[in-house]
Amino acid sequence: MAGARRLTAPPGAYGDVAGDTDDSLLAVRAAEGDEDAFAVLVQRHGPALIRLATRLLGNRTEAEDAVQDGFISAWRALPEFHGRSSFGTWMYRIVTNRCLNVLRGRRHVASLELAGELPAAEHSASPARITEARDAVRELRDALDLLSAEQRACWVLRALDGRSYEFIADTVGISLGAVRARVFRARRCLTQALGAWR
Amino acid sequence: MTAHTDPPNDPSPQDDDEHLPCGRLLSRVWDAWEQQADDPHLRSCPHCRQAVHGLDQLGSAVLGLREEEAADAPATDAAVLTRRVMDVVRLELRPGRPLPLGEPGEDLWITEAVAARALRAAAETVGGVRAGSCRIVGPLGGGPAGDRAAGAVEIVLDVHTPADAFLPHLADRVRDRVRDTADRELGMAVAAVDIRITDRVDPPGGGKEGRTP
Repeated sequence: MAGARRLTAPPGAYGDVAGDTDDSLLAVRAAEGDEDAFAVLVQRHGPALIRLATRLLGNRTEAEDAVQDGFISAWRALPEFHGRSSFGTWMYRIVTNRCLNVLRGRRHVASLELAGELPAAEHSASPARITEARDAVRELRDALDLLSAEQRACWVLRALDGRSYEFIADTVGISLGAVRARVFRARRCLTQALGAWR
Repeated sequence: MTAHTDPPNDPSPQDDDEHLPCGRLLSRVWDAWEQQADDPHLRSCPHCRQAVHGLDQLGSAVLGLREEEAADAPATDAAVLTRRVMDVVRLELRPGRPLPLGEPGEDLWITEAVAARALRAAAETVGGVRAGSCRIVGPLGGGPAGDRAAGAVEIVLDVHTPADAFLPHLADRVRDRVRDTADRELGMAVAAVDIRITDRVDPPGGGKEGRTP
């Protein structure tokens, strides 16, 4: 029968069924209650969103939970979505804001003031460049925890995800000036923590 | 200890900006670096160069972090994520209205979402057609009691078509397939099938195969 579906779809089946169907059509179908269309969207956008959430949260398990929750809230909100933006942009915004809430809920063991007390990397006396690079990455990971939730989100979207200031402002829902201010503060904090700036 | 967040109205960078010994603002020097502005002062001023060097070091660490991400991160198993999400979604389905099927007086119904899925799939058996919204309006009523036409519905279907298709002909074929599926497979009386073409697209790879019924 046309349009009939299997009760238990094998892995990858959703992508095979609608691999060339436009996101906008799938989102409309999902809004009208077609869960199979929504499954294709989850499969299509899930990996990139988990990468985004992992960057924002620094934790893969939390990232997967945030993306799962984001998709579920999207399913609930789809009837009111009306395609005002692309589905991908909409999901990016949902996941970013969900991650922001996770970050805001974290209880920090380190305050911003501690940034200056971190041992500065002794770049001039580094034993080997590869070790130095690894140390810098580890220090950067640690230093990200010193940022406020908003600074971290703005900096990650800018520096790691390569987004424009305008895109970040739209995604996070703050002014362009506020985004620039947060990226600036994040850079100050991170360069200080890396011993790269006083 | 409280959660570490910014106030909603973040002040401008100037509030915690600093003047370098050369008189330039740190935020402006870093802006110029980001925009790759060609400013002779930045090249010659030791204070500005030192400030930019700090950002360069941060940039190197970012590159290292990206390389570690690529090397360390397990490939996302999209199927696992999809299963987890869909397990929850299937507890919150939106099946839509029940629609009558068969002859008047028969107690046979189909939900709107299931009928729409079948009708979209029927439309997609026409080469290059992809279906979006499928609204089922009615039953319209108005006919004599006991008349099957009294339970007839109107179908409003949005489709994307191939850019080079002759639209009246294509719309007729889509209408025929939809009506045929509604009648033969669902047993649904249809008063009208309205086709709305919402986009004309070049098919990927140049293929125009319809879906297998």
